Amino acid sequence: MYPFEGLFSLLVLSLVLETQALTPTHHLTTTDVARLQAVLSQPFTDLKSAYYSVVGLSKLGIFVADADETCRFINSNLDPSSVESLFYAAEASQALSGCEIPVSNDTRDLLLATVSEDSTASQIHQSVSALSALGLPLASQEVVSALKARISKEDNVLAIILALQTASRLSQQAELGEILEEIEDLAARLDDLGGVYLQFEEGLEATALFVSAAYSLSDHVDMEPPLKEDQVIQLVNSIFSKKSWDSLSEAFSVASAAASLSNNRFHVPVIVSAQGPAAVSHSHPFLQLQVTDVLCQPLSSASVLVESASAVASKSAILNQAPFTLRDGVFELNFMASQPASGYYQFSVAITGDSRFVANHVELKVKVSTRVAINNMDLSVVDKDQSIGPKTTRVEYPTKAKASFMADSHQNFAMTFQLVDETTGVELTPHQTFVRLHNQKTGQEVVFVAEPDSKNLYKFELDTAERKTEFDSISGTYALYLMVGDATLENPILWNVADVVLKFLDEEAPGTIQAKTLYVPKPEIQHLFREPEKKPPTVVSNAFTALVLSPFLLLLILWFKLGANISNFTLSPSTILFHIGHAAMLGLMYVYWTHLNMFQTLKYLAIIGSLTFLAGNRMLAQKAVKRSAHIVFSFNLKCFFFLLLGSILYR
Amino acid sequence: MSNSVISVISRFLEEYASSTPNKLKVIDAYLLYIMMTGALQFLYCLLVGTFPFNSFLSGFISCVGSFILAVCLRIQINPQNKGEFLSISPERAFADFLFAHTVLHLVVINFIG
Repeated sequence: MYPFEGLFSLLVLSLVLETQALTPTHHLTTTDVARLQAVLSQPFTDLKSAYYSVVGLSKLGIFVADADETCRFINSNLDPSSVESLFYAAEASQALSGCEIPVSNDTRDLLLATVSEDSTASQIHQSVSALSALGLPLASQEVVSALKARISKEDNVLAIILALQTASRLSQQAELGEILEEIEDLAARLDDLGGVYLQFEEGLEATALFVSAAYSLSDHVDMEPPLKEDQVIQLVNSIFSKKSWDSLSEAFSVASAAASLSNNRFHVPVIVSAQGPAAVSHSHPFLQLQVTDVLCQPLSSASVLVESASAVASKSAILNQAPFTLRDGVFELNFMASQPASGYYQFSVAITGDSRFVANHVELKVKVSTRVAINNMDLSVVDKDQSIGPKTTRVEYPTKAKASFMADSHQNFAMTFQLVDETTGVELTPHQTFVRLHNQKTGQEVVFVAEPDSKNLYKFELDTAERKTEFDSISGTYALYLMVGDATLENPILWNVADVVLKFLDEEAPGTIQAKTLYVPKPEIQHLFREPEKKPPTVVSNAFTALVLSPFLLLLILWFKLGANISNFTLSPSTILFHIGHAAMLGLMYVYWTHLNMFQTLKYLAIIGSLTFLAGNRMLAQKAVKRSAHIVFSFNLKCFFFLLLGSILYR
Repeated sequence: MSNSVISVISRFLEEYASSTPNKLKVIDAYLLYIMMTGALQFLYCLLVGTFPFNSFLSGFISCVGSFILAVCLRIQINPQNKGEFLSISPERAFADFLFAHTVLHLVVINFIG
């Protein structure tokens, strides 16, 4: 019970997933391929660039023009003591026909000695490739063990890619199983960007080199690489999204990736693109598709089939299992033969013929255009009270009505017409059917929409009195135009049908029409500064200041009456110092209010305060309690100072 | 009724005049002065408005603070309270009074604007 359900849901899921299979969003067009060739054909300056150019072009199937000249260049730039130099020379000479590199025993020994655990993966790759290109024997098992050791030591992506590439040069009897597993591990390291791209964070070059290495190794051991179809398409998107390449090595990597994707035993991504716009009409009845591999080479063994084609609007199926015919490298189908109505159609196209094809189900949106014809254009002026019968004038497209029509506030102007497909006669309802009235004198234009009724008959009625605001009540001769347009119409129409003379009742006679003044300078805004607060008159403030100071007089009088005095004022230094210090503190308060900030004040206060404290301490210790009264007096005198300040400032 | 109030008040004033030491009376006179200054400031605010509100506040708080500190000084100096302030001599009380005033005036000047 449960396994069956599980299987069923898996089947449903796979069906769903299949219908949502990815198709490449980026691919190389013929101009891009030509650009790639041009980049690789640049004259080379050293052995490395010669290698990239020669081998890159050979991957694209192009052979260098002057092979002898290139061979001489390679031989003259070869440094037999450098493994890298030998690698470039050997690979390049193998791509050229009839180019030999002289090999000495020392060279061979050098290359063989490089195959060890102590060399880097890059060095091993270069020496093994050079050995195999030069046709020298090598011990595959030793290479395998050296590679395995290097992979575990240098765990970076590029080293593993080079190991894969090296393994594809070894004998098939060697144990390449572990190295083959690295493909899957590397594929897991790819970053999925939005479900569209799959690439290494090391960049485009690493991704492209990975693809070519993985497929060359898989072809060598004849085992399908563990890459799913969607992953292959995402790799295609990543590698071929960049259409101009920064360096020769980047161009080379893209060329080798393209070569391996167009010609390997397992996965061949298919690129389907419509030739020109995907649109058919009676004049162009054939839908033409280009079906190529990633290098824009047409697929010879492919057969293209429309699995289903249905109208987008009505979802009714038009075609089912219709084959395309191949003509001049382009697949075409006569869609108009099925007599589709104009509109958009969703095509589901399948490319078969080779089990290696990847992304061979494509969804296309095809437009069917048609030409429109206007039938039964009838113009009439109808009286509002229907007392006089309408006079209908028929006008044929593209002529203009001979007489002009007069309509004033008692009459309506009416227009009816039909829009049909020119060839089939089916009624059409295009997106845009406008009626434009253009006043030739003032340049004013008013546009209305003509609406179809249930029988697809278009009607337009102009009620002069009702619409006078649109016209600004300007009477005069208006040229009437009919505008018909749609994306699926091949012949949009602008037709001056007639002239209409409109008479409005209360003409305001504005004279000339003011064009909408959007872009003239606007009136200047004057900034309103903040109004100062209303203050009381100075007299009041002054009076109150005097009033607030008056209690001090009272205090002096009271103190005099009580007999408070400074008779016991002793002139000891600590006393003087105390009083001076205290006065200084109070003076500092005033200076704080006028000049200083809190930090400066605190600094000065600390200095003066400590002096005053010490002096005061001495003084108070010396004094008896009964003489402390005068201290109070002296202090309060200074205290008064602040209350004075407070009142003044408050004003 | 009013008779008793008047008699209470006059009795109080008599007692005050006779039994209060002179230095306390000096402080009391100071207290009266402070109170009147504060009241007049408040009256001004009520009549004319609170325009520089910070200035009003700082002036008023200065009066209130000074009043409170003077009251504290009076309490601490009063020989009748000597029992409660054994550790605080009148000199000490006065020094506290001065220090507190310094802090008060620092704040008042800061706020007066």
